[in-house]
Amino acid sequence: MRRAVLIARAELALMFRSHVALIGVIALLLLSAIAAATSQAHMAQERFSRLANQTQTDALFEAQPARHPHRMVHYGSYVYRPIGPLAGFEPGIDPFSGTTLYLEGHRQNSATISAVRENSSLMRFGQLTPAFVLQTLAPLLLIFLGFSMITREHMRGSLRLLLTTGVTPRDLILGKSLALGLVGLIALAPAWLALLMMAIAEPSEAGAAALMALGYGLYVLIWVFGIVAASALAQSGQAALLSLIGIWCFIAIVAPRGAAELAGRLEPLETRAATDLMIQAELRQLGDSHNPDDPFFAAFKARTLAQYGVTKIEDLPFNFRGAVSAEGEALTSRLFDKYFVELATTQRTQSQIVSLVSIASPAIAVRRISMAGAGTDLETHLRFLQQSEAHRFAMVQYLNRLHRDKLSQADDAARSKDPLAEQRTRIAADNWAKVPDFAFKPTSAKERMLAAIAPILTLAFWLASVMVLAGWSARVLRARAL
Amino acid sequence: MGGQGLDLRDLVVKRGNRNVLEGLSLTVPAGQIYALLGGNGAGKSTALFAALGLLPVTSGQALVDGKDPAHQPEAVRASIAYLPETVALYEHLSARENVDYFLSLAGQIRTKAQIEEAFAQVRLAPAVHDQRLSAFSKGMRQKTAIALALLRQTPVLLLDEPTTGLDPQATQDFHTLLLELKSTGVAILMVTHDLLGAIDVADTIGLMIDGKLASQWHARNSIPRFDLQGLYAAFTHARIGNTSA
Amino acid sequence: MKHFWREVGFLLRQRASVWAVTLLAGLALLSVGLGLHDVAKQKAAISQVIDLQKQDSAAIKVFATEAGDAAYYRFHPTWNPPAPLAFAALGQRDIAPSIMRIRALALEGQIHENEAQNPELALPGRFDFAFVLIYLAPLVLIVLFYDLWSGEREAGRLASLEAMPLARSHLWFPRILARFGVVSAALIPVFWIGALISGAGLRDTIAFTGLIVALLGFWTLFAAWIAKGRGGSPTNAAVLATVWFAITLIAPAGANLVINATTPIPDGAAILRENREAVHDAWDLDRAATLQRFYKFHPELASSPPMQRPFEWKWYFAFQHLGDQQVESLSTFYRTGIAKRDARAGLVALALPPLAIQRAFHRIANTDLAAQSAYQDRIRAYHTQLRTYYYPYLFLAKPFTPADFDATPEFSDRLAE
Repeated sequence: MRRAVLIARAELALMFRSHVALIGVIALLLLSAIAAATSQAHMAQERFSRLANQTQTDALFEAQPARHPHRMVHYGSYVYRPIGPLAGFEPGIDPFSGTTLYLEGHRQNSATISAVRENSSLMRFGQLTPAFVLQTLAPLLLIFLGFSMITREHMRGSLRLLLTTGVTPRDLILGKSLALGLVGLIALAPAWLALLMMAIAEPSEAGAAALMALGYGLYVLIWVFGIVAASALAQSGQAALLSLIGIWCFIAIVAPRGAAELAGRLEPLETRAATDLMIQAELRQLGDSHNPDDPFFAAFKARTLAQYGVTKIEDLPFNFRGAVSAEGEALTSRLFDKYFVELATTQRTQSQIVSLVSIASPAIAVRRISMAGAGTDLETHLRFLQQSEAHRFAMVQYLNRLHRDKLSQADDAARSKDPLAEQRTRIAADNWAKVPDFAFKPTSAKERMLAAIAPILTLAFWLASVMVLAGWSARVLRARAL
Repeated sequence: MGGQGLDLRDLVVKRGNRNVLEGLSLTVPAGQIYALLGGNGAGKSTALFAALGLLPVTSGQALVDGKDPAHQPEAVRASIAYLPETVALYEHLSARENVDYFLSLAGQIRTKAQIEEAFAQVRLAPAVHDQRLSAFSKGMRQKTAIALALLRQTPVLLLDEPTTGLDPQATQDFHTLLLELKSTGVAILMVTHDLLGAIDVADTIGLMIDGKLASQWHARNSIPRFDLQGLYAAFTHARIGNTSA
Repeated sequence: MKHFWREVGFLLRQRASVWAVTLLAGLALLSVGLGLHDVAKQKAAISQVIDLQKQDSAAIKVFATEAGDAAYYRFHPTWNPPAPLAFAALGQRDIAPSIMRIRALALEGQIHENEAQNPELALPGRFDFAFVLIYLAPLVLIVLFYDLWSGEREAGRLASLEAMPLARSHLWFPRILARFGVVSAALIPVFWIGALISGAGLRDTIAFTGLIVALLGFWTLFAAWIAKGRGGSPTNAAVLATVWFAITLIAPAGANLVINATTPIPDGAAILRENREAVHDAWDLDRAATLQRFYKFHPELASSPPMQRPFEWKWYFAFQHLGDQQVESLSTFYRTGIAKRDARAGLVALALPPLAIQRAFHRIANTDLAAQSAYQDRIRAYHTQLRTYYYPYLFLAKPFTPADFDATPEFSDRLAE
């Protein structure tokens, strides 16, 4: 171990003296700092803007004048997907998905307004975030600094010299790994610091932040041991460099795209337009509110009349139109839920397929941890959609209850033709404030930590594998040197 | 073959602000072998590069078969076959493919029979003609390169340390081959450390010290062909001079 | 030519080169297959929706006997069919809908709708031919070029090679050309196969091929320039990989940050909300005044009689249009802001050839931002056509018959350029 430390110290001294290495590390730190600052600032601004939008939307809703409750059903409301405290570190899917959802009666809209459609095509090349710097850039720097660590000794003949002084190949591998690991630590430092600061600011996120820090730590270690092993196994420096760049390109660039294509191919999604139309068609099968003889609504009418022991709807103790609205909304909502479950299941399966590919690419695994930890993964978006729909349904049904209970049946029927009846169907504005506000419950810190376990295990498996590889490379090295 | 041989006149070559050649003059007439000796860093390889036109000459002139590489580099290269110190051919090609490839580079076409003949001349066994060079010994590589030089059929042949690392038998074979070539009228300039070899085959031996020709001996028609005592004394002195520098 | 073919043969005898080039050709083939499949899927989705919409409209026709009901309930499909070369450069087609259903209500509330895609799949970007070309082909060129000179020097062959007559024209130039040629041969025929299958026009195919050659040419010249330098093989490889990384990953990301910071756009969410406010406020405003404001835009309808009842469809559709008018300047600002961001990205691309070529790909394949906004413009034009079709029935008491239901204008996907 003492020898390994000595070797590491010598290697670090060499790196320090080499301007290229120094410039590389400084460039990475600089880029990390820029990425951390800009991404954090941008996400903070987004968070603020969405919060402001939500506050304004809710205030507008409550400020609406006295109205027919069904008017409010169509006035509807907007919800804006909130941003978790760690999203500045890893924006994940946030810029790639709609952030604004319009909630209204009878309809389920799509989440709209996404950064990716407001940006130039440059965005598709990648975004400068701390996560990107660590996932993609840091390994490349480690490759440049580490590929020749052992091939150099081999080519210059100093390897044999070293081994005759009692240094074992294992010491050599360990020492070089120690040196490169230290560089990795420097590369990780700004990210860890950023996570630490976020955890201090938001103690409830500490667990998730710690898991993210662990994930990135494992990821960097995988590269450190992998690079040292490649340097020990390669016949020459350039062979090591080329194979490492090839591996990097596969892991960080090709595999994530390939995995996404594979998932999209294996689990295709319907277009939104087609889904809407299928829902409409199915709805018409179940009950057509435009058809006066529709069996579903006729049965509902008969059931309601029987329940209250009356023969005409005019004799019901409430406004039957409101009850029909509520029944119709319940019907559509059931269909929306059914199709949403299909969509969510397909998308979750897609993401699981991507996760499976992380067996071949630790970059996918670390991105999983990163997005799950930061609450910027698919799951967060699906929950937003699901909770928004629940909120929509609750809001509409609350308004339908007002429609049923607070309006006279006769006025309601005559309101399109009789201005005075129309006036009487308007109910007091203070009713609007009683609609509960939308409170998004994101995946809890515990859930996010649970979601990170499988990818953490994948990374641990990768690390164990490259460490075994590094150990084996020590044996190869001895055989080659002696 | 016959030609005007090789003529170096007062060559000065600078590398950085150091003169690697400081007025080197020597002449190799057609049909003669000139052995250029000297310690490490004396400028022997630089002299070859200057003759090939690969290094710019500060002053002086090199004439290869009457042509100046500074003015007609391509014509000069067409007249020279060059055998570098470490024979580096393509490892993933066979001997025959290497020869084919380099001949094609030089814009020369040789028949299969001519190539077989050259291989026979350098005593490269037919069984290995189509083997990849990565399986060759140093001597076999050397033979392949020499076969290539023969096939080029140039009036001037430049050799950089051709016998380093060859076993005595291979060296002997190589010398025999050189004498055969010489008899066809090729001018051969051979840079070497091998004094004994030089004495064996050279018509003229030159000793370079610090970028200049320090002394020169011509072969006699009697045996020993050279003034051995003078040679040894000068050579030993040059070695010491070199190490003290 | 003889020297070129000799060097091609020579290159193909090196196992690593063959491996890299074959891999590249394989990935290109895969990308073209995926792209063609994707385009076919989009086309199928478009005709599926057109079919489903027909059934939907038939069901609406049964009860929508009034023009107002038809205008309110009936959606009309609009679509943005993939251009033949879209398979090679999918561009923004994965994140923007290629089919949208539109009705005669306020458009701002409809036109921003999103596709139901999985954002995790959009995040890494597409595996299309443009990706293989812009990202992977340069890496293969780097592998083939980085040691072109240094490798010979390190193997001790450089002097023997340079000593050959006409080394420049017989050796180095053919060697460079052979590498360029082999990589081109791995990509261009694959692209042509795709273009043939997709039925792309000759002009576009030639233009696209020209761009492929330009991109490979750029990296060939650059890689050869670095390789010709004094650096050793590992240094050359590292320098080339760094430049590749900087051009394809860092520079676009950095430029995007700067462009967004310097080119603000209005909050899209605010446009939506303001549109809704403008539309719904009308319920509480004087109806006659609302109609008068509407008639300023459509004086030909001003002869319509005053409203008789609290609710009439003509008033409803009048304030829908006024809602759009209310946010028109904001919406225009939003769209021009996005277009300006894109234009600035175009300026950045002038300095970075691979980005410029990527943009040109998307332009030819009609998958860029401009193509998306052109589609939106077509939707806007169609929406105008649609609502003005209904106006005479709503305002001027023109009788609305089932035949009029069927005669409603249909969207045309013909490129309106």
